[in-house]
Amino acid sequence: MELLLNLMINGLATGMLIFLLAAGLTLIFGLMDVLNFAHGGLFAWGAYSSVWFYALTDSFVVAILGAIVTGIILGFITEKLIITPVYGNHIQQILITLGFMLVLTELLKVVFGPNQIPAKTPPYLAGSWEIGDVIIIKYRVFIIVVGFLIFGIFQYILKKTKIGLIVRAGVMNKEMVQTLGINIKNVFLYVFIAGAALAALGGALMAPYSGVIYAEMGMEFAILGFIVVVIGGMGSFPGSLLAAILVGLAGSFMAYYVPSLSLAVNMMLMAVVLIFRPQGLFKAKG
Amino acid sequence: MTSKYQWNNIFLTLIAIVLFIFPFVADSRTWTILLTQIFIFSILAMSYDILLGYTGIVSFGHAMFFGMGAYTTAVMLDRMEPTIGVFVLSIATGMLLAGAVSFIVGLMTLRLKSHFFAMLTLAVSGLFLVLAEKWRTLTSGNDGFTFRAPEFFKDRMVFYLVTLVCLVVVYLLLRRFVQSPMGHVLVAVRENEQRTKSLGFKTLHYKVIASVVAGVVASLAGSLYAVSLRFVNTSVLTMDITLDALLMTIIGGVGTLIGPIIGAGVIELSQHYLSGLAKEYPIFERWIIFFGIVYILAVIFFPSGIVGTVRQALHKRKKPAVLEKSSSGTEGL
Amino acid sequence: MNTMLKVDGVHTHIGQYHILQGISFEAKEGEVSVLLGRNGAGKTTTLKTILGLTPASKGIVTFKGQDITKKPTHGIANTGIGYVPEDQGIFGALTVEENMKVAMRKEDEVTLAKQDYVLNLFPDLKKFWKKDGGHLSGGQKQMLAMARAFVGNSQLLLIDEPSKGLAPIVIEKVMEAIMDMKKHTTIVLVEQNFMMASRIGDTYTLLDDGKTVQSGLMQELIQDEQVKRKYLGIG
Repeated sequence: MELLLNLMINGLATGMLIFLLAAGLTLIFGLMDVLNFAHGGLFAWGAYSSVWFYALTDSFVVAILGAIVTGIILGFITEKLIITPVYGNHIQQILITLGFMLVLTELLKVVFGPNQIPAKTPPYLAGSWEIGDVIIIKYRVFIIVVGFLIFGIFQYILKKTKIGLIVRAGVMNKEMVQTLGINIKNVFLYVFIAGAALAALGGALMAPYSGVIYAEMGMEFAILGFIVVVIGGMGSFPGSLLAAILVGLAGSFMAYYVPSLSLAVNMMLMAVVLIFRPQGLFKAKG
Repeated sequence: MTSKYQWNNIFLTLIAIVLFIFPFVADSRTWTILLTQIFIFSILAMSYDILLGYTGIVSFGHAMFFGMGAYTTAVMLDRMEPTIGVFVLSIATGMLLAGAVSFIVGLMTLRLKSHFFAMLTLAVSGLFLVLAEKWRTLTSGNDGFTFRAPEFFKDRMVFYLVTLVCLVVVYLLLRRFVQSPMGHVLVAVRENEQRTKSLGFKTLHYKVIASVVAGVVASLAGSLYAVSLRFVNTSVLTMDITLDALLMTIIGGVGTLIGPIIGAGVIELSQHYLSGLAKEYPIFERWIIFFGIVYILAVIFFPSGIVGTVRQALHKRKKPAVLEKSSSGTEGL
Repeated sequence: MNTMLKVDGVHTHIGQYHILQGISFEAKEGEVSVLLGRNGAGKTTTLKTILGLTPASKGIVTFKGQDITKKPTHGIANTGIGYVPEDQGIFGALTVEENMKVAMRKEDEVTLAKQDYVLNLFPDLKKFWKKDGGHLSGGQKQMLAMARAFVGNSQLLLIDEPSKGLAPIVIEKVMEAIMDMKKHTTIVLVEQNFMMASRIGDTYTLLDDGKTVQSGLMQELIQDEQVKRKYLGIG
């Protein structure tokens, strides 16, 4: 019972981190047909900047905010310098975002050094609760709460605000949105920045969870993000949450019972979904 | 047109002759090894360009075919005996394996749109990497294993000449391939798949053929690579190999065969030079970042790479730029 | 009457295809101008070129005296042009209400009055206000598309084949609605159905092979059996 619960909490927490990465990917893809292969780089930059800010200020809140600001700045730069120049050409887009991923990763090593860096958990989130004989690690619960909170906020924005309405309409038919007088390029910039900020937040939350950060973590998580986006259905925000939880749980249970297959299972899941149900398991519906 | 074409041929033949004579004239171990490396990666990059430049397919999983060749040759030389016979047999086996895998994977995935295909190839090659890491009895995982190369290759110069011959032969065969009617269909697929389809071509078949050709040639490069190091580990299956092929192709010039060769030369040489500088300036340990930036700039501003850009400058007219949406034929230089 | 829209010698390329090869016509304020011609004559592309979706490579489009040829699509729309595409372009997963909201730049009195007007014109929309656009019938989608274009800042409506795929009785309703909307806006209509076009059109422009063949009053065209046979295959 305790094992099962812990595996679930573990899976949910990992799932939430993947969700934060995948949410931006899926919206950016849905809205603009852009698959950002550099998204994992933003995740890794979020992790590094949060650790850096944490060491500097000794405040975890500042660390998180710092990571988000980093994400916003990098998101703005990426959209303006990398995405816009090749907009509309899929091949160039795939190539250039992968190239930017390489640059972001290497730049981390230039700035912070090539070695792994340890990441601390803030004292008030460290440790665990004991309920009866069940031990629950606080920080994991914290990640899950933040994940659901973010999902709630974004779901509210998407469903209840004008900009959210436009984003959802744009995912369905961006040409029509333009003919209704909306500058879709601005909308896309906002969405891209929001996606980048979410990825950076994911990275920031990831750091204390794994205890160490390293530059390649971006690519590793990006692959999980792609898997989630494919399973959840490109462009579907709720789909990406469900798929992320699925992938997180699968990873956590597989890692315990059949550790050698944990990554392989997710990749095979994605391959099967792509080949037999390319629209994703959960139909994209805004 | 013909005269220009002949001029090209004479020029290339001259370069090939110079390269053949080179090791007899200049007795430099460093250069022999470096050039061998360049030849091997030229083969890999050319194979990648069959996909990217000629057919317009972006694969992020090309390393798996390279790795298949490398492991097949390494394992067979290690487990059987280090002879030329086994070496040739291992190359053939590796090609067969790579051909079969690329055929199956291609048939299942080349239907997908570019994004999905790129993502899926990333995942499939990731699976092969995981497989190689876990199947330790065969691969020794990440630690890898050393093995003995055939006696014949003990002399670096001999191996140099072998790889050069391979490069020339592969170049000539691929040139025939891209200039054949089949090659023209591939270019048509790149320019406008929908239109090619509506002209009655089964584009999926052609794309699968392109991916098999690319896979087989990449496997040859992998076999040669393993022998050149007399060592193999899982690094031959990593994203880095795919990235190398990608950088070389883009920087050299997509949609040509000479472009990837030049790209391989430029990248290997500057890598050699920059890692030399790293001893004095640590920033150069991250030399890859310079290529990353050059690569991004190339994709935006010089989508036709060194060869394409030089050609445009020479001809003073708009030439095909594969990554641009413009359309027209591509010469099989 | 004032000229609302003027298309002057417009050429459009899509990829390597030269689709429009010289289109010229005018739409006067308060009139319904109909673009006629066979399939592939360039009618839809003409509308898309006016909107900047397939920008003109040559020629000038002026709206209310302002050159809009080089403007981006959203900028053109905001000068006051509404668009009802052939496939209606309904956002399927948004409700009728949300579909309308996307089009409303602001929710001031003028816009709300416009909305009241179209909802009276199309009572079905009011009935299915909270229903997903994707679940409407073909006729209701057409009405929603027209209503949505109208509530935006639209002094000129570009309507592409509103009768396509609709039952005769629904076509009748759509036609009545267009005639009513004409009191408030100028309309450029692409229509294959000559019966409909001849009843609601004030002027016509005949396109063939991407070129303007002739323009004139609809009344004259109705009499001209020869032109009708040659370019429209009727008569």
